[in-house]
Amino acid sequence: MATRMCMRLHLMRKSKFLTDRPTAFLKDTCTRTLKTYKSRRPVLSELFHKRQSLGPEPERHPSAYGIWNYDSEVYAFGKRLGEDFKDEILKTSLVLRSYQEEDEKAKEILLDDYSEENDDDDNTVSRDSNEQLAKQGEKLASRYVKAYLRATYPEMFEEGISAVHDYLTSDEMFAYVGSQLGLKDIILKMDYPPTDEDYSVTMKAVIGALAASQDVARAEAFVRDFFIVQLVAEDINEIWDVINPMGVLTNILKKMGLSPPEPRLIWKSAASTVMSVYHVGLYSDRTLLGRAPGETVSIAEEMAARDALKKYMNTQDHRAPLKFREAAEKLQIDYDRKNASLSNLSSGS
Amino acid sequence: MSSRSMPSTFVKNAMQNGLGRYVSQLQRITLNFCKSHSDSLGMRNFVEHHLMDFSKMNPGVVVYVKPRRHRPPRIVATFLNGNTQTFNVSSLPKEDICKWVEAMRTRSGVEVMRIRKTWHTDTPSIQGPWHPFLFKDPVNNTTSFPEPSLYSVQAGESASDRLLQRAEKLRQEQTAVASDITPEQEQITVGSGS
Repeated sequence: MATRMCMRLHLMRKSKFLTDRPTAFLKDTCTRTLKTYKSRRPVLSELFHKRQSLGPEPERHPSAYGIWNYDSEVYAFGKRLGEDFKDEILKTSLVLRSYQEEDEKAKEILLDDYSEENDDDDNTVSRDSNEQLAKQGEKLASRYVKAYLRATYPEMFEEGISAVHDYLTSDEMFAYVGSQLGLKDIILKMDYPPTDEDYSVTMKAVIGALAASQDVARAEAFVRDFFIVQLVAEDINEIWDVINPMGVLTNILKKMGLSPPEPRLIWKSAASTVMSVYHVGLYSDRTLLGRAPGETVSIAEEMAARDALKKYMNTQDHRAPLKFREAAEKLQIDYDRKNASLSNLSSGS
Repeated sequence: MSSRSMPSTFVKNAMQNGLGRYVSQLQRITLNFCKSHSDSLGMRNFVEHHLMDFSKMNPGVVVYVKPRRHRPPRIVATFLNGNTQTFNVSSLPKEDICKWVEAMRTRSGVEVMRIRKTWHTDTPSIQGPWHPFLFKDPVNNTTSFPEPSLYSVQAGESASDRLLQRAEKLRQEQTAVASDITPEQEQITVGSGS
């Protein structure tokens, strides 16, 4: 069945590509003209300009070059990632809705011709699209990413966890990872190459397919190894932009029963130049909470508040690295756990 | 060509590969050869002797073998990032082809370019940025200058003092050794010596 689908896809593509190659056609028909010395230059020049105006060749699917085995490609896709997928489920996860609709139409036409000759036909079994699997995969990834982040950053506020989670499970991230894992050629779609949306949906569906083929734990390890890993070179304090750091810090101190933060200018230099540096420290009850440099006093003050927040949430630049591989297995992951929230902080005080 | 005009890059890793799990970046490899021509002999030998082992050991790589009549043999490697590398392997023995295939298997697939440094990091410092006050003591904020304790030289012991101390120490040791030896011990040592 898969072979037949591939052939159909291939034929559709082939018919499309045949139409946009007029120069080759011209060159074949102009052989007699080209033999004449005098007319050679204008003809070639015309052909050249026609080629230029057409622009670059469209990107073609590898099957257009005649070397293609869909079953092997799908099998290798699973093996490459170190996973044992169930073949049928993985193949379902690669079928986009648009392709499935087109396929249904083609099948109806074929069926009308075919049913006159033969009634029982096993090739008419319709294949589902990957939407259901994509929903499952997205849910699974989202749940695990949140639980992993909460276990790794127990002191971070829930808003921050959500921001990092949104970054990791954004459509762009799914599309990026999907495009880098070799989905490009095996996604079943009429057009080529696939768009970011196609990559995103298919990547989610692959996660869903893994959970369905093996178990949820295996799919979660997949999410960790390919999505949470993308956090390695990132600064999570920049992913979550705290809007009013000084206000947040005041609320925290209030809740802890300490006096509000008191900014003090520790150092300043080159005040009247473009290279000015102010160094502000934040104190509460004579203890230093955080300190930071800045171009102006207000910038330095805000940065000092961010520094104090980083210390409070334990997300400093020198925090322990994220846990992967064997270390990640030992991580205590509690799916019901929730971190403290900023909204609770302000309402409770 | 000078190094300024040549394109250059930093060391890159394909999508943090290996931090979670390692994914071989070679997606598919196509081996083209002629069935009769002599310059494809090495490739034919490779296909006959090593190709099965290679594909068994690397199930994640799709191998296509395509004969093409009276054309030189070549290897076409396609990588996960979409890059393709094609090269001619005419008249190469099968050992060399093994090495090339291995090179393709272990490649990351990024374009081969001059690398500016052999290392790269996205987070150059975990200690924060440098600023002029990084190692300054805030005590100096309230100090009124000139402050004699900041520039006065501490009077320590001189070299001759240290020599005299050493001589004194040696003298004490010698007297201690001399007092340890009793007259009886001296007799014994003298007697055994004769």
